[in-house]
Amino acid sequence: MRSSDSAKNALDLLVLTVLTRRGPQHGYGIANAIRHLSAEALRIDEGSLYPALHRMEEAGWIAAKWTVTEKSRRARVYEIKRAGEKRLAAETERWTAFSAGVSRVLRYA
Amino acid sequence: MTWFTRLKNAVSSQQLDADLADEMRDHIERRAADLEADGLDSSAALNEARRAFGNATQFREQSRDTKLSAALEGTWQDVRYAWRGLRKNRAFAAVAVVSLSLAIGATTAIYSIVDASILRPLPVTQPKQLITLASVGDTSAIGGAADDAGFSYPLYEILRAAAGNAAKIALVDAPNRVEGQFGDGDAPREDLVQDVVSENLFDALGISPAAGRLFSEAENRLAAPRPVAVVSYDYWVRRFGADPAIVGKRLIINGKAYEILGVVRRGFAGVHAGSLVDVWLPIALTDPGVFSNAQFRPFALVGRLAPGVTRTQLAARLQPAFHNHQVARSEAGPAMADNERRRLRGMRIVAQPGATGISTFRQMFARPLWFLLGVAACILLLACANVASLLLAKSVSRANEMALRVSLGAGRARLMRQLVTESTLISILACIGGWFVARIVEPAFLALVSRDGNPVQLDLALDARVLGFSVMICALSVLCFGVLPALEATRFQPASALLRLRASGAGLRLGRFFVGVQTAVAFCLLSLGTGFLISLRNVTSVDTGFDSRGVTVLHMTDRLGPQQRDQQLAAMRAIQLNAAALPGVKSAATAWTPIFAGARRAQRVILPGHPPSDAAETFYRVSPGFLGALDIPLIAGRDFDVRDNDNEPVPTIVNRAFARKYFGREPVLGMEFQRDDSIRHQIVGVAGDSHYGSLRNGAEPIVYMPMKPTTSFTLYVRSTSDARAVGEMVERDARALAVGMRVRSVTTLHDLVNNTILTERLVAVIGAAFAFLGLILAAIGVFGLLNYSVTRRTKELGIRAALGARQWTLCRLVLNEVMRTMASGLVVGFVGFLIAIRFAEAILFDVRPVDPTVIGTAAIAFIGMAVIAAGIPAWRAARIDPVLALRQE
Repeated sequence: MRSSDSAKNALDLLVLTVLTRRGPQHGYGIANAIRHLSAEALRIDEGSLYPALHRMEEAGWIAAKWTVTEKSRRARVYEIKRAGEKRLAAETERWTAFSAGVSRVLRYA
Repeated sequence: MTWFTRLKNAVSSQQLDADLADEMRDHIERRAADLEADGLDSSAALNEARRAFGNATQFREQSRDTKLSAALEGTWQDVRYAWRGLRKNRAFAAVAVVSLSLAIGATTAIYSIVDASILRPLPVTQPKQLITLASVGDTSAIGGAADDAGFSYPLYEILRAAAGNAAKIALVDAPNRVEGQFGDGDAPREDLVQDVVSENLFDALGISPAAGRLFSEAENRLAAPRPVAVVSYDYWVRRFGADPAIVGKRLIINGKAYEILGVVRRGFAGVHAGSLVDVWLPIALTDPGVFSNAQFRPFALVGRLAPGVTRTQLAARLQPAFHNHQVARSEAGPAMADNERRRLRGMRIVAQPGATGISTFRQMFARPLWFLLGVAACILLLACANVASLLLAKSVSRANEMALRVSLGAGRARLMRQLVTESTLISILACIGGWFVARIVEPAFLALVSRDGNPVQLDLALDARVLGFSVMICALSVLCFGVLPALEATRFQPASALLRLRASGAGLRLGRFFVGVQTAVAFCLLSLGTGFLISLRNVTSVDTGFDSRGVTVLHMTDRLGPQQRDQQLAAMRAIQLNAAALPGVKSAATAWTPIFAGARRAQRVILPGHPPSDAAETFYRVSPGFLGALDIPLIAGRDFDVRDNDNEPVPTIVNRAFARKYFGREPVLGMEFQRDDSIRHQIVGVAGDSHYGSLRNGAEPIVYMPMKPTTSFTLYVRSTSDARAVGEMVERDARALAVGMRVRSVTTLHDLVNNTILTERLVAVIGAAFAFLGLILAAIGVFGLLNYSVTRRTKELGIRAALGARQWTLCRLVLNEVMRTMASGLVVGFVGFLIAIRFAEAILFDVRPVDPTVIGTAAIAFIGMAVIAAGIPAWRAARIDPVLALRQE
């Protein structure tokens, strides 16, 4: 697993998790959720979320549609798809194994 | 994201850019609003929100690249995957592409002919304003519509004046072939298509010159016309290399010199679909007798409405003048039968849409062409059903692969997309193939409908409509054969598929459905094709009453102008005798315009003490020996001899049909009757019945009269040599005689007769080809389905064989899969045939809608096909070796 891949994968994992647990969200909602849940530990450029969202959309993991908000503004709302759920399960498993491995090394080295 | 949005993104990325910018701005604004709610002032909040967002432009670029490359890459991947798939299954790919190519090619070819001859408007500005005039009346009366289809020159002048400024009305003659020569003396002679038109045609249509000028008011001087001609752009380029210097040069047409006035602009080749005109001559140059003769009505009238005038308004404006003319016509000349006079007076003039010009080709072939287009569409449907069932069978063999991919997380839509890409690829390949097929078929088709010496010429160059049609056909076929199997192939639960539990019953059901469709369409086409072939056989085996084999027909003209009456008769007689003495010639005779050439002289018959007959009968002038030359038997009385002439009572030979109709069983020799122009005839002989102008009507009454001097006549020569040799010998003879007679054209009686059944021949040849194609396609379909079914059931069949099932039982087991479907397909096909045959009834000859011969022949051919196509897989099933079959798993 290359480092850039692992960063990407981590971001995917977070987005997919948020969408699974909290239901359909717009980009800002997802960014806020990640920020608050990680207790602002994961400081990334909020904008970098969007290329990731669009990549996942192309891969068919999530779907997006335009909606009109209460303030009659256009907002793009993302929703997880079946392929995304599968991906999430696989990624979660991998991440757990990965982090377990890392913490074992940290603890017993 | 759907395929369509992808495509839209790839084509117009502007929308995509706007969407991305919107989404990101939305984010920043929300963040800023939240920060403001936390207590920041608005500009600081916005700055902070922007900082937190990072480099918006860069992110937008990233997203944009992702989306665009996904669109392109996804498509490219699908295409590559599909291509690999096709190459892996070459037999399948070849069968699919070739059968679709043939079907698409046939459809495109017929459509492009329909387009060029029926649908395409003339290349002029505002073609919607164009009209053609027609006179309509009670066509049920004698004489019918054909008699009054054309306009005379006097009527043209009347209507042109009556139209005033509501419309420009121009006159056109039918295009005809002439002999052209550029330069004097030994310059080569060439075949040109000439059209005689009124001087205002180009003005009315809005056609401009490419060089020189076109006809103007100066060419309308009927008294002293200047010999001028206008040539087409095509001819100008083809013959003169687009040399502007030809304006003012001399062009010899049929021996007369014309000054070339100018060249018509590119694209315009006359108003007749089916002919491409090379040279236009003004009507003023024609025989002056035409200008005052209201009975000579060969012309068509076209025109352009002034802006704001409707066709109905124009017709209403022309009607009074037209009516007056008709009244004058009905009162002129010899007394007319009452019903005929009423008919003439009751006629109305109508203005019809003229955007597509006028065409005898269209009148003759529009109906069969539309019919054939429908048949071609059926073939296309058949080919689609065929490819669909092949795809279906193939998809079953790929069930494992599909199941694996679904388990790995591929969405159904994604798989569908891939399968549909494969179908699209097949369809595009087939469209390209079909295009080539069409290019080959089109000239063959035109040759099929062309008369000798008068080929049908259509501009079949690719135009937007034909291209659009091809693309539509391509898309339609993908829809027909690609989508259903793709739906079917991707419909399963991954787990069960991996366990090979997939119930392929559904796949088979769909396959059976396709076999049903194929059976229905193929049987329908087969019966139609058989019907057309039998109809052609019937019409060609009609007993014409004469023997057309070995008869050369020469069209002779007199180039020296009016001669002394006796001299001319003597010259015709000399030519006849000389021809009869040529080597290999059995007999020769002269007559008027040849039979089966579309012209006739028809007059009413008046028996002493009776009113004129209802029907006008055919009067034909022939020389002594005519009956002998055509092998028409002389039943009673005598043939003409050289002393017979036009003095009353005119010595006359009638045929049996005439004798029976007017004299019943009475002896007719010596009897007299009158024509409606009061000339008395006396019957001196009775000839056997024969057809005059058509194979379809039975033998009609014919009156033969002695020859009279004319400027052009027909020479019939019965010989053992071919027509060309006879033509050359007669031409040499005629020159040697030096009486001013020349051979204008040479054909054979056989060709003349055959030219009248072009439609029957066309429909029979194409119908039979389609029937054959349909049969083959259906055979492939049935074979494919059963073959696949045997493969799928190998194990089951093996077990049965091991348990002692007889070979015949195994056969039946397999055949049962399609028996019921094919039976119901046959019923549907039969019903379809009964419906389709109604549209074709007019082109069928002596074939009843429910004709046992037709249906029997079609059924036998179809069952033969089915036995072979189903028999091979069934035979395979019967010979399954249980040991091998059981070991297969």
